[in-house]
Amino acid sequence: METGKKILLVDDEEGIRKVLGISLSDMGYDVVTAENGEEALSIFKEISPPIVLTDIKMPGMDGVTLLRTIKEVSPDTEVIMITGHGDMDLAIKSLKYEATDFVVKPINDDVLEIALKRAHERINMRQQIKDYTENLETMVKEQSARLIEVERLAAVGQAIEGLSSAIWNFAGGYEGGIQYFNEMPCLVAIHNSDLKIVATNQLYRERLGDRVGGDSCEIFGKKPSAHSECSVEKTFRTGKGQRSQEKIKYLSGEEVPVIVHTAPIRSKDNRVELVLEISADATEVKRLREELETTRQRHKQLFDEAPCYITVQDKNYNVTAANRRFKEDFGDDTVMKCFEIYKQRQTTCPSCPVEKTFKDGKSHQAEMVVTSKTGEQINVLIWTAPIKNATGEITQVMEMSTNITQIRKLEDHLSSLGLLIGSISHGIKGLLTGLDGGMYLVESGFSKENREQVKEGWDIVKLVVSRIRGMVLDILYYAKHRDLKWEQVNVLSFAEDVAFTIEPKIRIQNIKLIRKFDPSMGEFEVDPGIVRSALINILENAIDACTEDKSERPHKITFGVIQDKNHIIFDVYDNGTGMDKETRDNLFTLFFSSKGNKGTGLGLFISNRIIQQHGGVIKVDTAPGKGSHFRIMLPKFLSESLKSPHIDDENASADNL
Amino acid sequence: MAKKILVIDDDPIIVKYLVSLLNDNGYETCTADDGVRGYEVLKKEKPDLITLDLQMAEEWGTNFYRRISKNKEFKDIPVIVISGMAGRHLSIKNAVAYLPKPFDPDKLLGILKSTIG
Repeated sequence: METGKKILLVDDEEGIRKVLGISLSDMGYDVVTAENGEEALSIFKEISPPIVLTDIKMPGMDGVTLLRTIKEVSPDTEVIMITGHGDMDLAIKSLKYEATDFVVKPINDDVLEIALKRAHERINMRQQIKDYTENLETMVKEQSARLIEVERLAAVGQAIEGLSSAIWNFAGGYEGGIQYFNEMPCLVAIHNSDLKIVATNQLYRERLGDRVGGDSCEIFGKKPSAHSECSVEKTFRTGKGQRSQEKIKYLSGEEVPVIVHTAPIRSKDNRVELVLEISADATEVKRLREELETTRQRHKQLFDEAPCYITVQDKNYNVTAANRRFKEDFGDDTVMKCFEIYKQRQTTCPSCPVEKTFKDGKSHQAEMVVTSKTGEQINVLIWTAPIKNATGEITQVMEMSTNITQIRKLEDHLSSLGLLIGSISHGIKGLLTGLDGGMYLVESGFSKENREQVKEGWDIVKLVVSRIRGMVLDILYYAKHRDLKWEQVNVLSFAEDVAFTIEPKIRIQNIKLIRKFDPSMGEFEVDPGIVRSALINILENAIDACTEDKSERPHKITFGVIQDKNHIIFDVYDNGTGMDKETRDNLFTLFFSSKGNKGTGLGLFISNRIIQQHGGVIKVDTAPGKGSHFRIMLPKFLSESLKSPHIDDENASADNL
Repeated sequence: MAKKILVIDDDPIIVKYLVSLLNDNGYETCTADDGVRGYEVLKKEKPDLITLDLQMAEEWGTNFYRRISKNKEFKDIPVIVISGMAGRHLSIKNAVAYLPKPFDPDKLLGILKSTIG
């Protein structure tokens, strides 16, 4: 039985209760009765019937009071009053108190039924209104939320649309528009309403190939028929921009996650004519990073391979960066000061260009002699340049040094050539005067018919001419810097050859030649032509020393060859005049010249240079009256740098700088 | 009487040349191969003129000249400088002439003629 069908019947008369109770039951109600108001209230509290039927006149609580009480507690309860004829005032009063209706005793069933019906109607209507109201509230809430969302999307959509419109307008047609997109580091495509790609930017083409005319979602591996999954399709359909995450496969085979944004491009009449699709590739960053790395490496190569020494110094002259060449020649020690490495000093150099650049921010030059880690002296030309930080402050200075040792050597060579010419000019003049003398003697001898004088004169001429020849050849030799024409030569046969050549000149002066050759020697690397000349020159010098010696003792020259671990050693001993200290010190200089029988002395200077060019050395031990000992030491093996070409003043090349 | 000329030069060939040349032209000669010995010969032979080389191995001619110009007896002897160092030399103030090497023999003879006859 429906709860709606409960009814509370309140009457003090039992008879009425019974009769009405039956009638109500017949009508299908579930009847509960009460005798008086109090009982009715407690029942009412218990069962909450929707309808109450109550007599007005009752002892104790009367019907109106009951009505009012019920209405206070439950205003929706329908209360029907049962009145007698004389209770009209009460009946009307009860209406005032919101009674639903009243029925007059004796109760007619029809009347009762109608009253009940009305009560039910009222109940229903009330319920409906309630329901309706509640529904309405929910609906309003929902609609409000939707409205907000819509507005938000509208705003975003408007922004993208605004952007694409702007671009659209700017580009003026999609073909041209795509050119600007070529600058963007994203994959950009434009799709038409047939869900086909109509244009792509350059990066798109590079990564995905030529997709124009292809299906919109093909690159994501989707078919356009899967409508709901294609952002482009959605954009066309809804007119709203979409955002999604997809995976793309590049032509290279690489699978890349991208974030895809779409935006509608509207025509003048506001239809969505095209859709702009922008895909941002997170791996693009990786590629840029790789490019940066390549550039960095290229820069490092340049730094290292530049044909000069490059260092960077901070304000305390610590070397913070150095290129490969510098490290090779000057060492790779961690943090050292530039003047420590270059010049083995404890303080800055006097005319330090780095210091100047720190002061005035300008480039400076200087020329210095620096020392390599192997102790070699190198002439360098230094350029400095300031390095500024972001605020324009000079934090470091870059120093670039070019090795100009070869140039300086050439310069020295040329200037000493000038010096040579100057110093031997005196000797030349003497020789020429001597030649005049010889010729005079010949001529006057002829005219006086003095054969002795003619012979004397002619001998002088021959002697002086040979000296002049020697001098000219020496000058020519000295003037031209030549490479060593080195060979592997057997020591013994070389020494024997020299001895053989000099022997006649020794014998003719009544000097004895003694050979002392160590038979165990093998071969050595040498330019045999010039070393031979040098040795012969030294031997000739020994001859001169003997002939100059006026003492009566028998003269001898000993020519020996021995070896040690790394050298072949030639010894020339004579027991001639010997030399005082001053002569000995000047022996190999350009100023050692002597007249008379000794010639110009240029030979010894050149001989010394020949030996030095091989990396060897000549030592001289001598004392006046005691004779002299020349020791010529030559390395068995030439160092690599000696074997490679020097700068030749005839064909100087920049390679060697 | 023949005039005597002292030839001072450390190159024996040049000495021989000058001696021959001068002798052939009627002069007597004495020689020395450096300044110190030259001074000895000067004292002994008392020549009428001196030819002097400057750049000599042991002692330069300038020292010799200084010595003789300080000496009353010798300071007036005429000196001809024959040297590879061209031009006048400040240290040789009163030389009759400065001849270069190689020198023109006729020029030398001319100067001799006009100086000592």
